[in-house]
Amino acid sequence: MNEPESTTSSASEIPDENRPPIVAAQSPFLRAPEGARTIFLVTFAAACGPLAAGLFLFGWRAASVAALSIFGCAVIERIYYGVTRVPALLGRSHAWLTGLLLALTLPAFVDWYIPLIAAAFAIIVGKAIFGGVGHFLWQPALVGRLAVTVLFPAELSIPFAQFPSDWPILASNRVLRVEADVRNAGRVENYRRWRRARAAEGYDAILITRPTLLLARLTRGEGPYYGALAFVDLDAAQTKGDLRLPDEYAEDLSTLPEAPLPEAPEAITPPATGPPRPRPAALLQLPPLNDMLYGARPGGIGETSIVIIVVAGLYLVYRNYVKAQLPLAFIASAWCVVAIAPIYLEGPAGTIRELWLPLLTSEGLDVGFTYVNYQLFSCELFLAAFFLSTEMTSRPVTTGGQVIFGIGCGAGAMLLKLYMDVPIPCYMAVLAMNTLTPTIEALWRPRVLGQGFWSRWFAR
Amino acid sequence: MLFRRYGTFTGGIDLPDEKHSTLDAPIGAWKRPEKLLLPLAPCRGASARPIVQPGENVTTGERIAIGGNGAVDIFAPLAGRVAKLTTAPIVRRRAMAMVPAIELRDLSRPTGICALSEVFDWKNASAEALRARIAEGGLTTHRSDPISLARWIERAVAKKCDVLIANVMEGEPFVTSAHRLLVEHGADVIRGLAILGRCMGAVRTILVVDQRRTDDYRELVAPARTYSIVRIALEPKYPLGADNILLKVLRRREVPPGSSPMDVGTAVIDAATCFATYRQVACGAPQSSRVVTVSGDRVEKSGNFWVPFGIACESLVGRAEPPVIHGGPMTGVRTGGDLPTGPSTDAVLAINAAAPAAPTPCIRCSWCTDHCPARLNVAALNDMFELAEIDRARRAGVLACVDCGVCSYVCPARLPLSQRVRQLKRAIYERREAAPLFSEK
Ligand code: SF4
Ligand code: SF4
Repeated sequence: MNEPESTTSSASEIPDENRPPIVAAQSPFLRAPEGARTIFLVTFAAACGPLAAGLFLFGWRAASVAALSIFGCAVIERIYYGVTRVPALLGRSHAWLTGLLLALTLPAFVDWYIPLIAAAFAIIVGKAIFGGVGHFLWQPALVGRLAVTVLFPAELSIPFAQFPSDWPILASNRVLRVEADVRNAGRVENYRRWRRARAAEGYDAILITRPTLLLARLTRGEGPYYGALAFVDLDAAQTKGDLRLPDEYAEDLSTLPEAPLPEAPEAITPPATGPPRPRPAALLQLPPLNDMLYGARPGGIGETSIVIIVVAGLYLVYRNYVKAQLPLAFIASAWCVVAIAPIYLEGPAGTIRELWLPLLTSEGLDVGFTYVNYQLFSCELFLAAFFLSTEMTSRPVTTGGQVIFGIGCGAGAMLLKLYMDVPIPCYMAVLAMNTLTPTIEALWRPRVLGQGFWSRWFAR
Repeated sequence: MLFRRYGTFTGGIDLPDEKHSTLDAPIGAWKRPEKLLLPLAPCRGASARPIVQPGENVTTGERIAIGGNGAVDIFAPLAGRVAKLTTAPIVRRRAMAMVPAIELRDLSRPTGICALSEVFDWKNASAEALRARIAEGGLTTHRSDPISLARWIERAVAKKCDVLIANVMEGEPFVTSAHRLLVEHGADVIRGLAILGRCMGAVRTILVVDQRRTDDYRELVAPARTYSIVRIALEPKYPLGADNILLKVLRRREVPPGSSPMDVGTAVIDAATCFATYRQVACGAPQSSRVVTVSGDRVEKSGNFWVPFGIACESLVGRAEPPVIHGGPMTGVRTGGDLPTGPSTDAVLAINAAAPAAPTPCIRCSWCTDHCPARLNVAALNDMFELAEIDRARRAGVLACVDCGVCSYVCPARLPLSQRVRQLKRAIYERREAAPLFSEK
């Protein structure tokens, strides 16, 4: 009777007649209610917010692009798993989410085949060949977006051959009309703000010069905007011949001083007393700040409406699907890079001036601040920060790793935007950091309870 | 102030409380059982030697097996007849093991907790006398993986533990046995704690309770003052009841991975052990029953009961279908094969645990990593488990895991994470036992 008890506690050691019916020690027996499918579907619902803004600003074309992309992803996923006969775990809800995110990054005016091709790349190259949900390296929607950007550069970035630098947005007197088409666009005289720019008879959309383009010309010293960050006296500069303006803006600029600017930001309102204060020329060309924030500006379907992206993103943070640290690090590092990185301003008579720390120009903090904010608002940064970089599988798991990831994304995005001529800098930065994710995961190790400080790296 | 308050820790979760059905149920007696199955080795180590023959009659509290060499004496919880010598399953390291056992039949009716008079002047006894008396009573710790209380004290003395903590956090849903014990027999628990503190020469003795229940514990403030026991109430957050986490919060001391709290000079004990200690040392009643919470949606009669050791867990829940859970819902195990109640049975539950959905691949949501109280990167450990990289897992500190089950609880992919972590730990221990020379330290 004194035989030693069985030393290992595994079920196989128990004699057969005494084997308990169920030995699986499956504790815990309680499970939190939220499943992976819920995560994808709730993220899908949150991403419908920016999509709704896109439908409002770009019309039915945005809806058709989104539908093509979502159903394209779902169908291609179906076909792929049907052909390869791999069980698609969690596949469908994730395919919808991928399709929606892909649609948010695409412009509204693209032809029908572009969302489909992007969806095919997203599902097959981005996801399926890695082994499906949970295994891919790059955010699949961005893989699709990058593929079509490389394959069809012209179709994606230049809406109309005759207006290569402009971008159509439904005019405010056309937004809720079903038949309004963003491809049917004409220029407006004197663009002030979206609510006041009304499309002429026969047109549905208005063309807006891309702010990114204006800022790029400014920062690379190729722009005509001498002293773009400076308060130049426009009239004096023009008469002296220092300020060369392209024809299409000549009229706008010359009429500016007279135009009333009731809701203009502080920086450009003249002080009440003294001689009228001249205005920074570059900022005059850009859409007003609230247009930038609610989304009446050039960009992809879901990229433009920063207010709605932030609200939807905060909901994801509240649901704990996104750690606030990642988008914060993303945006903060982008902000810092823009505030510090040098820009090149064209001076009088063709000289180029290198200007470090554009935040603190000699013109004062307000000008620098506005410049930095416009750099962030004018690209796809917020969508990338809240929805694309936070894709769970392709970002690091630990909080510290995510902060590093976010800092890399933000800095990379802004450096690409400032110094390289790439159409989708933020997405490319996210893809590049996705590639580094396994490295970050391996190197960033939180200190485990009871471990010494160094033993996380040097444990024997 | 009745109880002092403290901070908390990172990670962890707020679990649903689910205690309402048994929180105020007084400890009752259980009905006459069919048979009792008494494992001879409730603790790790050798098993006790039976001193009764099949067919013999035994009386309540009679010694039926003699321990020694780490095993404890076994006493008959009820009067009855020895039916046979057999084997019984017990829970060991969160899994089942088979050990020799004695089966009793034709039993008498169990009683509730009866008041006993003190027969031993423990207040004036020396620490050695107290320890001898504890060893006589076949006492074990009443926590998961019980060990002989005499050994436990020996170890605490050897490691020079100067702080004794009675951990009555009871953070798991449904479980209320320690709470009821403290409410109804708080003074005895406190005296038992004082005895244990004397035995191991503790400089400070601390009682830790759940902040939500402090109002129910007014009665024990006076005895606690008498024995200068520090009373601390902590805000509930799930694995605060785990010893290593409690130590981190109360003493700012982290237990190195793979060590026990005693290695940092602190002994942690529970209310049921203190109660059993008092009854044995002062009143001479050996350990043979304990308070068990019977609860869950599927049980016939929920409540807290004074249950003799050896009743099959499945008979406690009435006609409920399996799975029946031995222990709390987060760390317990499924019963099977007549698993008898023992010192570590604080609850027997039959909850509506829907069959867990099939696991899907990890989507790297990071919830397991965020909520792990030991700050382990559980998602990475899961990868290591899948790749069978045991050594890498050891270097990643997997032994720091406190087995709380939080990672499995939160995982949206329904991966059995805590089970996998447990398997990694077991593999490391097995490897260490096989080749101690080559293991670290
Ligand atoms: S909780 Fe589950 S799905 Fe999420 S990271 Fe951990 S293992 Fe992966
Ligand atoms: S790894 Fe261990 S300590 Fe961490 S959550 Fe899982 S069971 Fe708890």
